[in-house]
Amino acid sequence: MTIFGLGPHGESASPPERMTLLPQDITAARAKKLRVAIIMHTLESDWARLLVQGMVGTLGECGAIVIDVVDCNFSSTAQINALDRLRRESPDAIISLPVNNTTVTEAHRAISEAGIKLVLIDNVPTGMLPGKDYISLVSADNFGLGKIAAELLSAHLPQGAAAGVLAYDADFFAANEREIAFNRWMEVNRPDVTVKTATFSTIDGAGHEAAQLMDDHSEIAGLFVVWDSPCIDVVRAVSKRNPIPPITTVDLGQEVTEILAKGGPVVGVAGQSPFQQGEAVAQTTITTLLDRPCPDWLALPGLIVSRSNVIDSYQTIWRKPVSREFLIGLDLLQSK
Amino acid sequence: MHTDKLAPNHQRGKGRPRNSEAATASLVAVLNHVRLGQPTTRQDLERVSEYGRAIIADRLAILTELGLVNESGTGVATGGRAPRLVQFTNDRARLAVVTLDQSAIGVGLADISGKLLTEHHEAANMIDQTKTVDRIHALINWLMTRQSETPDLWGISISVPGAVLTKHNAAFLLETPNFLPNWNKSGLVEALMRRFDAPVWMNSNVQAMTMGELHGGAGIDQQAMLFVKVGQRIGAGLVSNGQPYHGASGAAGLIGQLPVTSGDTTGSLDAMAGANMIKARGVEAAQSGKSAYLAEILVRKAEITAIEVCQAAQMGDPVSTEIVAQSGRLIGGVVATLANMLNPQLIVIAGSIAQTNDILLASVREAVYGASHPLVTRDLRILRSQMGNSAALLGAAGIAVSTLFDPMFLKGWILLGSPTRHPDFLYGLQTLSSITQQSDDGPQAPPGS
Repeated sequence: MTIFGLGPHGESASPPERMTLLPQDITAARAKKLRVAIIMHTLESDWARLLVQGMVGTLGECGAIVIDVVDCNFSSTAQINALDRLRRESPDAIISLPVNNTTVTEAHRAISEAGIKLVLIDNVPTGMLPGKDYISLVSADNFGLGKIAAELLSAHLPQGAAAGVLAYDADFFAANEREIAFNRWMEVNRPDVTVKTATFSTIDGAGHEAAQLMDDHSEIAGLFVVWDSPCIDVVRAVSKRNPIPPITTVDLGQEVTEILAKGGPVVGVAGQSPFQQGEAVAQTTITTLLDRPCPDWLALPGLIVSRSNVIDSYQTIWRKPVSREFLIGLDLLQSK
Repeated sequence: MHTDKLAPNHQRGKGRPRNSEAATASLVAVLNHVRLGQPTTRQDLERVSEYGRAIIADRLAILTELGLVNESGTGVATGGRAPRLVQFTNDRARLAVVTLDQSAIGVGLADISGKLLTEHHEAANMIDQTKTVDRIHALINWLMTRQSETPDLWGISISVPGAVLTKHNAAFLLETPNFLPNWNKSGLVEALMRRFDAPVWMNSNVQAMTMGELHGGAGIDQQAMLFVKVGQRIGAGLVSNGQPYHGASGAAGLIGQLPVTSGDTTGSLDAMAGANMIKARGVEAAQSGKSAYLAEILVRKAEITAIEVCQAAQMGDPVSTEIVAQSGRLIGGVVATLANMLNPQLIVIAGSIAQTNDILLASVREAVYGASHPLVTRDLRILRSQMGNSAALLGAAGIAVSTLFDPMFLKGWILLGSPTRHPDFLYGLQTLSSITQQSDDGPQAPPGS
């Protein structure tokens, strides 16, 4: 397992295997009758739903009751309210994906100060420290994901072209790492390519920003969108252009899988493993509730997904086969 | 070219009495009262500064116009209208902070109170100086463009993996110090000054991390702290009476040079207990098959670093555990000597080797508690830093802030509204430009030839 990035404080990654629970750990956890709350930035993405599945399943195996799963819809106010409300419920642990690095800091810090174990997913508000303000951060290797996306797009960029990046307009560890890594890979490996960046603040604004970016820079020959939900909006916005630009993104969501399998415009995906990440988050939570030390940062490597391996990657990530209609559409199954 | 949006274009209010030398001194005093204290009222300022109402009103008017203070907040009413609170405008400008390590770069932005706002760390190889300088430039640029409005940049504070010897009383650098062999030829400081039109400061990683730990980590409110960073090199930082101690020439804490003995071998602490030793012994254990765990990593990854050995130790590999524990015992022996001499309240162990496992910390504790006088260890705490490389960034920000607002330096720029307009800095920048111009022009033919 190669992890390319460093953690939010420059930490080296620890592998998720370090949190593997033994049968006696599960027995000990069940005896504690634990209560855990989950606060997500959104539940609208395929990635988020699969991550929650991984967490809830593993917590269930350890006898931990999930008392709430909150969808903050990317709103810091909603997240602060949820953290305040759940703090008063005094669960043993809260698992949270902070929606940004600034406005939700104090609400998260109050969780640890109340003696509730806090495990973070994908993002750490600036100034919060592991072991003091939170237990661990569990994320994908987001720097590695940006690198994969750049490499996949590079194959579709002619000499001297420009690449457009649709970046997230919030200070968010995971999205920042992907964008920085994409730029870095191009700088080192494709110095002939110039990178033009636009930012979006809402998912349904990404398409408009992409169209504007391409209008402003006609030399753009390909796009990278920092995750799959805004990517779908970008695909809709640019699909009537001639030529349609190739696009790479992060996360093999259902719609992106379909677009990639059918031949574009999505030409490659840096895949995360949300189910396994959810399991790692839950295992970390149980480990700390058993009063054992946890690493500051656990990271899962990215998967390289192109059209040639999209079906088996889908199975790896989603833990289920693609639909029958889908296989027929790809001539992998004969229609009756 | 960086231009400061709020800085006036000329020295303000020429001929007006409040711009006199005396006015500058009181401006500096009032600003530092506001900056270092809690939000306060005009009445409180009059009391603590011992200036009259008219002077306070005048100085606050100037500082408000310069964007350095604001009175947007209100305090608690005590019978009448709620008083307005005078506050330092932390967001007036930004400081770029950088930490360079043998294998990583960290870059962040801080406000002018020294609070870290955002940071990014990535793996890097310092061997290529030009690429390192370009990368720092690119990352600072990226961070600045991601701010909602491109802010004014008032300085760049860098921490580096080596002692930095600078001239006494120099408010900022004009050339790159030789913190590692040949880095004085890298042009790092010169390039950043030119590209961002901002003063540059540089300190050793250990000094910056000690400062960061003191202000944002386990060292908060500590009067006597010993900070030990364990990486390829091993260095120490000291806090005495709540203040960092740097020594006569800024080289305090180079404990990696001390000789230690293990078995029949004697060498420096760096060589006997640092990351290079851990890596070498880990590779040997993998290649010989003594550690099946490391041997498997070697087969899969083809490279073993000290981090892999430390993680293997944490996972329970006995060979790796002994390698890391041996390093901890040697470091602990040296730290015990320092502890007996200095009697710290707190010892913080930091750096990549300490961060990835608990074995090193346990071995250091065992050695220090075993070799120290009971009076020294009675209230002593030995902890692992929780800050990682953020300590270096936070410390670099703190160093920049204390230099910018040092009364001697502040006097030189306060009426100009920005340290980037300080006459000494402008002169330095001009000198740098003329040197660059001369080297760009190359040798010129003598007149009349």
